[in-house]
Amino acid sequence: MKNQIKIVILGLLVSIFIFIFYFGLGSNTKNNPQVMVFKKLPAIELRSLYDNNIKISLPRLNQEKFYIINIWASWCTPCRDEHPLLMKLGIEKKIKIFGINYKDNQASARSFLKDLGNPFYYVGIDPDGTNSIELGAYGVPETYIIDSKGIIVLKHVGPLNNDVYKKILTKIE
Amino acid sequence: MRFLFCIFLFIYFLSTQLAFSSLDREIEIYKNIRCLVCQGQSLNDSNSDFANDLKKIIKTKLDNNETDKQIYKYLVERYGDWILFDPPIKTKTMFLWLIPLLTLIIGFYILRKKISFSKD
Repeated sequence: MKNQIKIVILGLLVSIFIFIFYFGLGSNTKNNPQVMVFKKLPAIELRSLYDNNIKISLPRLNQEKFYIINIWASWCTPCRDEHPLLMKLGIEKKIKIFGINYKDNQASARSFLKDLGNPFYYVGIDPDGTNSIELGAYGVPETYIIDSKGIIVLKHVGPLNNDVYKKILTKIE
Repeated sequence: MRFLFCIFLFIYFLSTQLAFSSLDREIEIYKNIRCLVCQGQSLNDSNSDFANDLKKIIKTKLDNNETDKQIYKYLVERYGDWILFDPPIKTKTMFLWLIPLLTLIIGFYILRKKISFSKD
């Protein structure tokens, strides 16, 4: 009887260990760029790329059902790659996109938009990268979808591609 | 004159001590934070854009007299627990902290049993 109890306890302990390791090793405990999703967008203030005296505050509450925030820079090659998709979202689909120009030369940023088209409703500058850190950004490019309550409902790290584009449209429409 | 000189020396000593301790604290925080875009480096070891941006924010927060806890909380809210080198004790990480203790207790129990058995 005593031995049977010992075997049951040992079996239970082994099962607990297997259970912990099975789920522990399977889950992503490492870097998770989605930490900010379903959290409120932190309050940030951005000066306009076209007139440094004009400022805009984010999040914008109850103004749009959804809007997009895109962090970009003229020196960033993947930003150039994703630009046609941003044009589609901003110009064709008429979704408001707030651009955050990350650590860039303002003249280069303006010429980037002049050459490739401007999909942004407003472009704010982040000369030292601190506003992007407020949003939990890792670098450029990065895209966020914000709802009318100021909640981040989608975050994409890296350049947009057709799959993410479809995901954004499904979320918004 | 000698009195004034002593006061000057005292103030100088105090200011250097204060400057050193705040710098030490800053570096200690950098060492505890993982650079998420680097391979196994802390903020202190990295010179990446991401690390430099975070250092700037941490420096501002230290200048605003925020505590280490407040700074870590700010970073964890944005980047998750992975940004810290020391995992915090939470329900999810509880087992991580409890398993060594449990193993030790079970080990001691088995050892005691073995010793009393050999004595018998």
